Amino acid sequence: MRLNKKDLNKILSILAEGRELFVPGQVRGIKQFKLWEGEAPELDGENTILPPKDILFPKTEKMYTYKTGTEAEIAEIVDMPERIIFGLRACDMRSIECMDSVFIREGFEDSFYARRRAKSLIVAIACSGAGVNCFCESMGLDPNAAPSADIFLSDGGDCYGVEANTERGAAELKKWAEYLTEGDVPKSETHCSLAPAMSRELSKKLTGIFDDDELWQEVTGPCIQCGTCSFVCPTCYCFDINQADAGGEGVAFRCWDSCMFSDYNQNAGGHNTRPTKKQRLRNRYLHKLAYFNERHGMELCVGCGRCISKCPAHLDIAEFIDKTAEVCHD
Amino acid sequence: MIEVNHDCTCQGNPLVPQVCRITDIRNETGDVKTFRVQSLDGKRPFLPMPGQLGMWSMLGVGEAMFSITAFGEDWIESSIKAVGELTEAMHELSVGDFVGLRGPYGNGFPVDALKGRDILFIGGGIGAAPVRSLIRWCAVHREQYGRFDIVCGARTIDDVPFREDFFENWPKMDNTGVHITVDRKTDNWNGSVAFIPDYVETLGLTPENRKVVMCGPSIMIRLTTERLAKLGFARGDIITSMETRMKCGIGKCGRCNIGSKYVCLDGPVFTLTELDELPAE
Ligand SMILES: Cc1cc2nc3c(=O)[nH]c(=O)nc-3n(C[C@H](O)[C@H](O)[C@H](O)COP(=O)(O)OP(=O)(O)OC[C@H]3O[C@@H](n4cnc5c(N)ncnc54)[C@H](O)[C@@H]3O)c2cc1C
Ligand code: SF4
Ligand code: SF4
Ligand code: FES
Repeated sequence: MRLNKKDLNKILSILAEGRELFVPGQVRGIKQFKLWEGEAPELDGENTILPPKDILFPKTEKMYTYKTGTEAEIAEIVDMPERIIFGLRACDMRSIECMDSVFIREGFEDSFYARRRAKSLIVAIACSGAGVNCFCESMGLDPNAAPSADIFLSDGGDCYGVEANTERGAAELKKWAEYLTEGDVPKSETHCSLAPAMSRELSKKLTGIFDDDELWQEVTGPCIQCGTCSFVCPTCYCFDINQADAGGEGVAFRCWDSCMFSDYNQNAGGHNTRPTKKQRLRNRYLHKLAYFNERHGMELCVGCGRCISKCPAHLDIAEFIDKTAEVCHD
Repeated sequence: MIEVNHDCTCQGNPLVPQVCRITDIRNETGDVKTFRVQSLDGKRPFLPMPGQLGMWSMLGVGEAMFSITAFGEDWIESSIKAVGELTEAMHELSVGDFVGLRGPYGNGFPVDALKGRDILFIGGGIGAAPVRSLIRWCAVHREQYGRFDIVCGARTIDDVPFREDFFENWPKMDNTGVHITVDRKTDNWNGSVAFIPDYVETLGLTPENRKVVMCGPSIMIRLTTERLAKLGFARGDIITSMETRMKCGIGKCGRCNIGSKYVCLDGPVFTLTELDELPAE
């Protein structure tokens, strides 16, 4: 099906009806997903600086309220809004697949994530411009497709090609019917900028360099342990659980955390499993490129390049992959 | 891909605790107290297997993971050593007070693989806590297991926890030897004064048909393993329980990983051979 671009705002109005609609746009000068307020979304150019992660996995998420004392009680917070994520690209769609695998498919279901996910509809769009640090294709992705999104839009000049990949997507498209016309749009041809030598086979070799101290010292040397890489990464999903107490009652919440921080593995009694930054960054890289694959059958890096763009110390995971590809060459 | 199998006995959301009431508190040693709890409707909060973990929550202060050291028809208990803010606050609690509790988490001890075997149990300090849950299980199913040797090591005799079990209940079990050793002699102790590794070597135990279950400080595990190796014990026959920082208990928060394994999910119980296969973080 086709959708004339001049009708986009009508579609957004349909999507926003009774639901929270998130689109790419500027908030205080930073391109990110924001609540739609009638404006034209920023679909062109490079991807958002911040990932859409917090729509499904909020930076701070209330889990339950509690009361202490003689009337002690705990009440789970189950209220989740219905949401639409519009204009998300292939890399960020894959990152949601990663989170689905962790929070929904493996072992226990994480009810908080699962409820949000069940109430979210995703309209993805073909990538319209790779950033200088993008390497999604090296991670096995096609920037011109997002097969797990509910609805996918490809760019056909003055119109979008529209296809539904899921039943929910198909049901949604019925609401768009008066604006859709028959016809196809040829697949877009965006390609990413960087082409490091990552082959998906590499991940199996990476654990083999675990003990290469010299390599890790060199790679991790400049890192200042600021945690920015985790914050901007669409797939980093570690969290901390805490309580905000207001005397006799309060709320337990979880919030994003980073394995780059020294207190992340700090045990009572002083023992720390990863006391040095070499160990911590090694864990981050190997989790992304090797460990995650063992559990979930895919990498936990989608090649979006955000961590490369924002690292104050110029660490570069794509360069790391290139370097280790050489080291691992057998 | 790693398959995770869960027979979860928690109701509903595994990340949300249930309110429990403290029904008993016992002083084990100067800084270890055992807390017994039940749910508000007077039931056992959940059914744990030996070696599994519970996330205890002091509402308003925070949460921490502890071994579940015992359970009965309508209660479970953990033994908690005061080492920091949360555990010290917990030591201020009284019978009748409320805590949050969620679980059980982790794999627990391989009670089936141990069947028919002689077992050497070793608990160092508070490490006796997880070992206790297994010994209690094996005592109930006594006929399924071979000889028991139970070793407890502590700094002084006053630091030995679970005194009723070590001095009264377990010595009365069939085909069982209970062996206590301390680091430092005091006037009220005439028994062994030796570190666990040295002491275990003197017990004359052979590796034939015997498994070792050992928990305690990592230095103790390492040195005792060296001695056991000298006696011919294979690393695959030595079972231990790991301790890492935990937040969620269900393999989601990322905190407790060693390589691709999560201690809260794939552990905390591992054989030394299994641990050898993990990256040396
Ligand atoms: C599986 C598991 C579960 C746990 N569960 C709990 C829990 O439920 N609650 C809780 O509060 N904590 C728990 N812990 C905490 C943990 O046991 C303690 O941090 C640790 O055992 C230190 O205890 P301690 O200070 O009593 O040791 P210590 O009393 O100082 O030492 C214990 C023994 O180790 C030996 N030892 C000590 N130093 C040496 C040395 N240099 N060389 C040789 N031998 C030595 C001694 O012989 C002594 O008998 C658990 C630990 C494990 C492994
Ligand atoms: S953004 Fe760069 S400097 Fe900051 S923690 Fe990540 S790798 Fe280290
Ligand atoms: S590790 Fe870097 S490149 Fe990979 S998904 Fe995360 S932010 Fe993007
Ligand atoms: S405690 Fe959260 S992953 Fe193990």
